[in-house]
Amino acid sequence: MQSTNKEPLIRIVKRTGLKKRYAALLYLASVIIALGIGAILLLSLKANPAEYYKQMFTLGTINNKFAYLQYENYIKEFVPLLITSLALSLAFKMKFWNIGGEGQFILGALAGATVAFLVPSTLNPLLTMILMIFAGALVGGLIGLLTSVLNVKFGTDETLFTLMFNYIALYILTYFGETKAGWNIFLKTDSERPQFAKIPENARMIKIPLGDFSLEISFVFVILLVAFIFIYLTKTKHGYEISVVGDSINTAKYSGMKVDKIICRTMFLSAALIGAAGAIRTSSVQSLSTSITNDVGWTGIIVAWLAKLNPIGIVIVTALISILQCGCITASVSANNVDSHFADLLQGVILFIILAADFFIRFKIVIRKSSKKASTQKEVNV
Amino acid sequence: MKKVLSLVLALVLCFSLVACNGTNTDDEKFLVGAIYINGQNDTAGYTYAHHSGITKAMEQLGMDKSQLKIVDNVAEDDAAVTQAIDTLASQGCKLIIGISFGYLNAMQDAAEKEQYKDIIFSHATGYLSNETNFNNYFGRIYQARYLAGIAAGMKSLELNNNNIGYVAAYGTEYAETCSGINGFALGVQSVNPNAKVYVSKINNWADEAKERQIAENLIDNYNCGVIAQHCDSAQPQIAAQEKNAFGCGYNSDMTAQAPKAHLTAPVWNWDVYYKLAIETAMNTPSEFMSKVGIYYGGLKEGFVDIAPLTDNCAEGTKTVVDAVKAMMINGEWDVFTNVKLSIDKDGNITKTEGALLDNEGHEVISADGNTYYVHNDAGALEAVEGGKSAQDGVIKGSMDYYVAGVEEING
Repeated sequence: MQSTNKEPLIRIVKRTGLKKRYAALLYLASVIIALGIGAILLLSLKANPAEYYKQMFTLGTINNKFAYLQYENYIKEFVPLLITSLALSLAFKMKFWNIGGEGQFILGALAGATVAFLVPSTLNPLLTMILMIFAGALVGGLIGLLTSVLNVKFGTDETLFTLMFNYIALYILTYFGETKAGWNIFLKTDSERPQFAKIPENARMIKIPLGDFSLEISFVFVILLVAFIFIYLTKTKHGYEISVVGDSINTAKYSGMKVDKIICRTMFLSAALIGAAGAIRTSSVQSLSTSITNDVGWTGIIVAWLAKLNPIGIVIVTALISILQCGCITASVSANNVDSHFADLLQGVILFIILAADFFIRFKIVIRKSSKKASTQKEVNV
Repeated sequence: MKKVLSLVLALVLCFSLVACNGTNTDDEKFLVGAIYINGQNDTAGYTYAHHSGITKAMEQLGMDKSQLKIVDNVAEDDAAVTQAIDTLASQGCKLIIGISFGYLNAMQDAAEKEQYKDIIFSHATGYLSNETNFNNYFGRIYQARYLAGIAAGMKSLELNNNNIGYVAAYGTEYAETCSGINGFALGVQSVNPNAKVYVSKINNWADEAKERQIAENLIDNYNCGVIAQHCDSAQPQIAAQEKNAFGCGYNSDMTAQAPKAHLTAPVWNWDVYYKLAIETAMNTPSEFMSKVGIYYGGLKEGFVDIAPLTDNCAEGTKTVVDAVKAMMINGEWDVFTNVKLSIDKDGNITKTEGALLDNEGHEVISADGNTYYVHNDAGALEAVEGGKSAQDGVIKGSMDYYVAGVEEING
């Protein structure tokens, strides 16, 4: 413990009374600074930044006869990321660090694919999809439940547990992807090399045709899910319990809440939703792959925090990050010399600067002036 | 507040200045799209070899660099590949090349789409195709491996050391690797029937540290005097040079990396295929499948070759290699047949007919050359009639054995 009369040289103090409009301007400025840095880098690669950003923010849909396909691909990225981010926010709200989104997603995808290959190919597509999602949710949820039960019973560290499970899940999937054998239902039978097969026709995502564009019904599902999570968190007893546990476990215990049960229930729900997202992704992509997650388990963490765990905020941030991800591919194709590593780098720069802005909007750094002027501001543990 | 506002305004201003640069469109020009597994700015390796081939072919055809559109670092994931294809199609590409095996599902689906029927899809190392706009291509690198095997075999005679090492990405798991090993071993045996080829695997397509480590192990513990390789980097050749051994590289001429050790290297001339494919797709797209079709070029087409023999080679190597190369080019003889070549010290080539045996003593090609054997799902050898087309199993992926004289060891 530090002595109370000696204030540290640098302290991080919560910023209070910042106007929302001012905060919004700071966010905007951070995006513009990030794009400015990107523009300098692009110029150094002899690429035209204006053209690059135009392609990026429009997903290359201007003067494009296949624009509807870009929108379809966008939805394909948007849906799993949104579900995962929402699910992660449930656990984070409780200050339960579920960083196992990748693993839960993969096992959900594997469970969904298992159902897809095992049910008769004559089964109704909608029913097949529901079964797939159910299987994905069940497997994901059980992993979540296992994590939380071990946490509340034996005090295991959920961060480490969920993190390590990501690798276990990935290796299980890789094993199925690389082992050619009679029992392996996931592989193509006509290929000499092991290669994931496409899932049967009736297990593929149902699409609603709207002209050339067709909308995957998972989009409808995810909109309903946003509404559900919003109501669940703000209007129900469960939601209230989650926020109390997140604020202070002791307060929750004192008020007579069954904290263990709340943690297990919420973690089951969180992981189940991620598992469902995995199954939805399988149905949408129509095959497994070792990069099926598209890193949603990681990106989802950034989305959840940038959106301050607010469901509506998560929708907005997911929409923007998906534009960044899809747009970067299109933009790097339109500019010669710019490879996908640069696109990744630019994404990183943008996210990093926004996160930095986010930090300075929420906190300020106070440098010690004189010991007499000890600040009365609330100190925050970071 | 004002400070932030002025900062924002200043940046917006900078930005709009940049935005004033004009944009040029390349309508009318034929656009080639490429999907790479690694980065387009790589300086070595698989993607680099393809990228160099495509750009070289385009140069020869008088095309501009801007006519090539690339999506790189695309994982073998159907969603990622589909997105890459959609992006390239959106940009107006009329030929879309995918270089990695795992792209096959997505490429097949795209080729079948109504809106893409005027786009040609070309897939390296795959086995799927359709009648109008989707082919696959690969090369008879085993022919070049055989020639490198002759050079290695003659060196082993000169060194009076029958042990030859082979640093392999994989072994019998992939036809691509074991056909290379077998082609090389048969080449070695044509000049030195007593030679033994020790294969040691990395279990990865590229891992520089392990490539070196395995080469060192082969030289130190198996007393190998010549090191051949099927892996990305020149590490095995560098290790051979350091330990006063010799070697055959792969993919590109590795003489520069190991001038005192390198004999020759089987090389790919991807530009040969890409020139044919791009030219046909550009000028006569409707004849793509009849003119290019499923393409398995070899020495004859110049698609595969060996790098120029260095002075490290044993005396007389060039005469023998050239003679055997000519036999393969004019179609007189090929590697995986019932005819074995025996080359004596004076370079006389004799042909003997006989069954080809695997290293467990099973017949894999019958003595009359009409029956080929492949392993079925249960692991037993099963006869496949059909001569030449069965022989192409080397490329289509059914070969999964080592020929006699090859021994796999643990690295």
